Amino acid sequence: MKFYQLVSFTAFLICLISLSYHFFRLVKLGSPKDYSSKIGNLYSAIPYSFIGAMNPLKKESAYLHYPTYAAGILYHSGTFISFILYFLFLFSFSFSDFLQYILICGLAVSIASGIGIFIKRVSLKKLRYLSCPDDYISNLLVTAFQIFTLLATISESNATYYNIGAALLFLYLPLGKLKHSLYFFAARFHLGYYYGWRGIWPVKNHK
Amino acid sequence: MDNFKNKKDKAIRILSEPKDSKLITHLNSCVHCGLCAESCMYYLATNDEKYIPAKKVDIISSIYQRYCTFTGKYFPVLTGSKELDEETKDEMIDLLFGACTLCGRCTKHCSIGVDISYVVRTGRQMLSEMDMVPATLQSTVNAAVQTGNNMSIPTEEFTDTLAWLEDELKNEVNDPMAAIPLNVTNTNILYTLNPREPKFFPLSISAMAKVFYAAKESWTLSTIMYDVTNYAYFTSNNEEAIIIAQRLYDEMLNLNSNRCILAECGHGSRAFRWEAPNYLRKKFPFEVITAVELLAEYISSGRIKLDKELNKEVMTLHDPCNLVREGGVIEQQRYIMKNTVCNFVEMTPHGTENFCCGGGGGQLAMSEYNERRMKIAEIKAEQIRRTGAKVVVTPCHNCVDQLMQIDNKFKLGVKIKTLAEIVADAIILE
Ligand code: SF4
Ligand code: SF4
Repeated sequence: MKFYQLVSFTAFLICLISLSYHFFRLVKLGSPKDYSSKIGNLYSAIPYSFIGAMNPLKKESAYLHYPTYAAGILYHSGTFISFILYFLFLFSFSFSDFLQYILICGLAVSIASGIGIFIKRVSLKKLRYLSCPDDYISNLLVTAFQIFTLLATISESNATYYNIGAALLFLYLPLGKLKHSLYFFAARFHLGYYYGWRGIWPVKNHK
Repeated sequence: MDNFKNKKDKAIRILSEPKDSKLITHLNSCVHCGLCAESCMYYLATNDEKYIPAKKVDIISSIYQRYCTFTGKYFPVLTGSKELDEETKDEMIDLLFGACTLCGRCTKHCSIGVDISYVVRTGRQMLSEMDMVPATLQSTVNAAVQTGNNMSIPTEEFTDTLAWLEDELKNEVNDPMAAIPLNVTNTNILYTLNPREPKFFPLSISAMAKVFYAAKESWTLSTIMYDVTNYAYFTSNNEEAIIIAQRLYDEMLNLNSNRCILAECGHGSRAFRWEAPNYLRKKFPFEVITAVELLAEYISSGRIKLDKELNKEVMTLHDPCNLVREGGVIEQQRYIMKNTVCNFVEMTPHGTENFCCGGGGGQLAMSEYNERRMKIAEIKAEQIRRTGAKVVVTPCHNCVDQLMQIDNKFKLGVKIKTLAEIVADAIILE
C-alpha cells in the first residue's frame, strides 16, 4: 500500500469507528416499547417502509420534484459506486476499456447531478434559508470525491489527489449531515415500525 | 436568570437523555433538501420559508447539536447549532405551537423518513418543561385536570342535558323504555364523548344513542369520566396526560365494561388508544376502539339496518389526521359512507394523504393564532368546494368546529355532520 493510500485508509478506519459508535448507540438504546395493542403487521410494514413507501409515486418529495428526485438518485448512485471503486483501487483492480467507459459516463452524470443540486441550494431562497455551512460542504466534498474518482478511473497518475480527497471525505463524514448514510436506515426502520404498529402501512387506500 | 437556566437544563435533558433510539434518529436524519415544503399547508398557504416542516425539525436538532454533539459543541457554525436562549425559545413557541397542527402529512412525504410531527411534539415537551405552553392551550388542559372535562361542564348541567336528550330519544323511537344509561356497571360498552357534544352539539349524542338503541347494545355513559379528549397530548406534558388518561382507565375498570368506545374525536381517540398505554406504561385489560369502527361493525354484522335513500344530498368525507394518517382507521368510514349515503364524493387528496382541516394540534384552543389558522384553512375550503358536496361528514368534533368556521369564512354553503349523525339519519327501526 502506498503512503497516500495509507492516509486515506486510516481516514476510512476513523470514519468506520465513528459510524460504528453511532450504530451501536442506536442498537443499545433500542426501539421504543409500545404498550398499545398492535393492529398491524411489522413484518410487512418495515420492509414496506424501505421499498413500497419509497416508490416515487407515493411521495410528494419525489413526484412533485421529479428533476431533483432523479438528480438525487443519480448522485447517490454515483457516491455508492465511488465508494466501491475506492476499495477496488486499493486492491489495484483493473477494468476493461468498456467498463471504464461506462464508469466514466456514469460518474460524469452523477457529478453533473451533484453540481445541479449545489446550484439549486445556492439559488433557491427557500433552500438557502434552510441550509447551514455543513450542507454546502457535504455537497462539495462528495462531488469532489466523485470528480477525483472519475480522474483516478481515467489515469493512475491522479491517485495522490484522489486519496487526499477520499481522506477528507472520510474524516468529515461522521461530523455532519453525511451521517444520514447511517441514520436514513434507522429513520426508515422507525417509521415502518410506527406506521406498521398502527396498521397504517402497508398503505391500502391509494392516492 | 437561575430559574431560566434550571428550566433550560430540564428541557435539554429531554434531548441528552433519550429513552430510546427514535429521537436521536430523527434528530440526525434531516438533509435539508426542502422537499417537504409542499406537503405542509402552512407553507402552501403562505409561501413563507419559515414554515417549511424541516425548519421545525431544525430548531430542535440545532439545539440537540449544540448541547449533545461534538461538532455542535466545538464547531457550532458548521451545523447551524443554536443556544437555547430567549430568542430561540420564542421561535420555538411560534413554530411548534403556532405553526404546526401535528397532522403528520410531511412525515409521510419526507424524502428520508424524518418523523417531523414527533420532533415537533418533542419540542413542545421541551417548552412544557420550561412552562412556555401558550396560556390559552394550557387553560384547556387545566380545565380537564381540575374539573374532569376540558369545558368545565358541571355534572348537574351534563346530567340535565342527557335527561333532555333521553326524552327526545324516547319520542323519536317511540319507545318509553329507550334510554341513555348513566354509570351502569358490567355493560358491554363504555361510551365516551367530546365535551363539545353536551356543550354545543347534543344532537350527536342523540344520534349515537339512537344507533345503540337500534343495535340493542348494552352500553353506558359515565358522569365521572366521559371526556375522550386529552389536550395534554398537544402540550406534550406527560404528567398531565397521565392524569387524564388514568381517569378514563380507572373508570373502565370501575364500571367493568368490556369495550371502551372512543367518541368521534381524532386526537382523543389517538391519545387514549395509542398514547395512553404508553403514558401509563401498561397494556389495557379491555378493548379500545373508535366509534367509527363500531359503526362499521354494526353495519357489516347487520345489527343495524340502513336506507341510504334517506341521505340523498351529495356528501364528502373529511379524514381527521389523528384518526386516519396517525391512527389507522382508514377504510371503515368509507364503508359507512357507501352504506349510508346515495352520493358520496371523495376529496382530492383523501385518506392518509388528506390535508388537515387546520384546527388540529391544539390550534382551535390557541386564539392568538386564529388568523394563521384560518389562512391555512383555504386549502381545505378549496378541497371541499371542488367536490361540489352539500354536506361534509367528519368523525371528529374538533374538525366539525373548524369546518364550520371554514364554511362561514369561505361561504361554502355546506352542512357539517358527524358519521353517527348520518348513520342515525339512515337507520330503519324495526
Ligand atoms: S424532506 Fe425530510 S429530509 Fe428533506 S428537508 Fe424535509 S424533513 Fe428534511
Ligand atoms: S405536521 Fe402538518 S402542520 Fe406540522 S409541519 Fe408537518 S405538514 Fe406542517
